[in-house]
Amino acid sequence: MDEAIRVESLKKYYGKFAAVDDISFNVQSGEIFGILGPNGAGKTTTLEILEGLHSPNDGSVTVLNLDVLKHPKEIKSRIGVQLQSSAYYDYLNLLEILTLLASFYPPNVRANPTEILRKVDLENKSRQRVNTLSGGEKQRFTIAASLINNPELLILDEPTTGLDPRSRRNIWQLIEGINQSGITVVLTTHYMDEAEALCRRIAIMDNGHLIAVDTPANLRASLEYQHAVKLTVETPLTEAQIVSLNNLDADIETKSENTYAIKLKGGTASLDLLLKSIVADNVKFQNLEITPVTLEDVFLDLTGNELQEAP
Amino acid sequence: MIQLTLHNLKIMARNRHSTFWALFFPLLLVVVFGLFQVGNFGGADVNVVNNSTNEASKEFIAQISSNNFFEVSQVDSIETALTRLNNGETEYVLTIPSEFNYNMDGTLSLQYTDQDPQQNEITLLMLSNLLNQSNAEFSSRNLIQTIELKKPETTYFDTVLLGLVGLGIMTNSIISIAVKISNYRNQSILKRMLVTPLPIWKFFASEIAAHLILAIIQAIIILGLGILLFGASIRGNPASLLFIILMGSIVFLNIGFIMSAWTNSPSAASGMGNAIALPMIFFSGTFFSVTTLPWIMPVVSQVLPLTPMLSALRDIGLNGYPIWSVWQDIAALAAWIVVTSIIAIKVFRFS
Ligand SMILES: Nc1ncnc2c1ncn2[C@@H]1O[C@H](COP(=O)(O)OP(=O)(O)OP(=O)(O)O)[C@@H](O)[C@H]1O
Ligand SMILES: [Mg+2]
Repeated sequence: MDEAIRVESLKKYYGKFAAVDDISFNVQSGEIFGILGPNGAGKTTTLEILEGLHSPNDGSVTVLNLDVLKHPKEIKSRIGVQLQSSAYYDYLNLLEILTLLASFYPPNVRANPTEILRKVDLENKSRQRVNTLSGGEKQRFTIAASLINNPELLILDEPTTGLDPRSRRNIWQLIEGINQSGITVVLTTHYMDEAEALCRRIAIMDNGHLIAVDTPANLRASLEYQHAVKLTVETPLTEAQIVSLNNLDADIETKSENTYAIKLKGGTASLDLLLKSIVADNVKFQNLEITPVTLEDVFLDLTGNELQEAP
Repeated sequence: MIQLTLHNLKIMARNRHSTFWALFFPLLLVVVFGLFQVGNFGGADVNVVNNSTNEASKEFIAQISSNNFFEVSQVDSIETALTRLNNGETEYVLTIPSEFNYNMDGTLSLQYTDQDPQQNEITLLMLSNLLNQSNAEFSSRNLIQTIELKKPETTYFDTVLLGLVGLGIMTNSIISIAVKISNYRNQSILKRMLVTPLPIWKFFASEIAAHLILAIIQAIIILGLGILLFGASIRGNPASLLFIILMGSIVFLNIGFIMSAWTNSPSAASGMGNAIALPMIFFSGTFFSVTTLPWIMPVVSQVLPLTPMLSALRDIGLNGYPIWSVWQDIAALAAWIVVTSIIAIKVFRFS
């Protein structure tokens, strides 16, 4: 398969601070590739180097088989970019902005502005100004703007941050549709559900480091356990009960006096044993939550930190 | 790039607020000065050239100064005074001889124009009265020798009108570009441009082009109002005037770019723009000549970019001089363009 992006030993410093510290990954043509990480992980910095906005301090970066330092102009005319925070002209309507943006590109790659607006379902708002759009519409418009040059590669920086669940799903569908039309997509996100739902492969970033790159399924499978169990009981477990639970293939952690977090290994077979053991030991539980491991758990396991601060 | 320029003009046309205010202030001043010239305020504006150092002369000047009818200012040389008379900046030039005393015939010379004979008569009468009061003994003598000059071809209003063209273009160019670029930067519009293959110089060139077009429109409206409504007479080749206007405008746009780089918010950019523009209005002689001001002010005036712009506009527009006769002003403006461009490119920030 072709490579859309290749990043090797990339480093970027702001003063002495390493915003991106020696990361390497590649993106295959045709896939949706996600970069998942908390605030300040270095996601935006990485993308902006791909887009030619910053130059790397060290390492090499090729986009569409072109070196970012040597062919910035050609890269720019072949990729589409949605910046994390970017407004558009206040006094122009959607159609005018797209027409203007199109004029910056070589004639042979320009898309038809009206068609693009139709693609993101904003055709009937073409005469409105950006500041009259809702949050979700605004995001759809910025995606539309990034499609104005029929790009081969689309780079989206947090396309759904700040949106309600419905608008988010709406954007997911849009991105999937774009990808199905043959465009490679690279996106960043804080949300593991988004990464899981949308991305074929995920890079996990934290503090400027790349901690893992793989498919969501492989990342989950890389954990030693497959289920996270949260057990809340009426009276604290006795020694005997704990020993009995420990006979299962599990790590038990006491969270508070009467809640326990259990990392359960051994797949669904263990679930059966857990339930039986709870009944057999006569554990009086108030609540029992069993969830398959998520990327959140992967992140916690790899970094020791939560991906998102508790709301 | 033409696309971008057109879109920029469209944005300006739709951003009615700022465009309106850009035009409003200079136009308001045109109206104020226009009405001022039409209305007669009764008193007499006198420039006194005192060639004497004796007490009598000082006493006499103090005496006329204390009279409400006279608006007195002392001028060092007769040439300056006559220039101002000719420009309409003053109405009377009174010369006091070196051996001033109250008992010589034709001691004082009063020069004025034939623009308003009635006022001339009153002024002469008032002046004689003052002399008589101070020294009744010589009341019968005619102490004042009068020289009536032809009405000057240019009036004070004409001079101010060209000053207002400079003022309008300067404030608008500096402030509107500083605020706009600052806004673009805060909203990451500049960054959005950078991820397209558009060469960034085209982005700036089209901003400049759109603002130059606005400057031309502004100049036409200001001059048009002055000429049509208040009868100003502006001579000179319009193409030469246009050339000077464009040069000046480029300097001020560059200054606007620099202001936007030195500040972090649109309102700070606007404030800083004003802080630069307002003193310049004063020191560059928009409303009155600064060559008569004391101390280093004339020097300050010479190192400001608005000064050569106004000087060239007035030489061409008032005296009808050809463009090559103002080559010194053009050279000064060209130097300003070079210097401000270099600084603007050096200090500009995209984010
Ligand atoms: N221009 C800059 N100067 C100094 N430090 C910077 C600059 N830009 C970014 N940083 C720092 O680099 C680090 C990485 O920033 P970056 O924007 O890449 O993070 P991010 O992963 O995109 O975060 P977020 O999810 O909040 O968007 C942050 O700690 C940030 O403060
Ligand atoms: Mg970011």
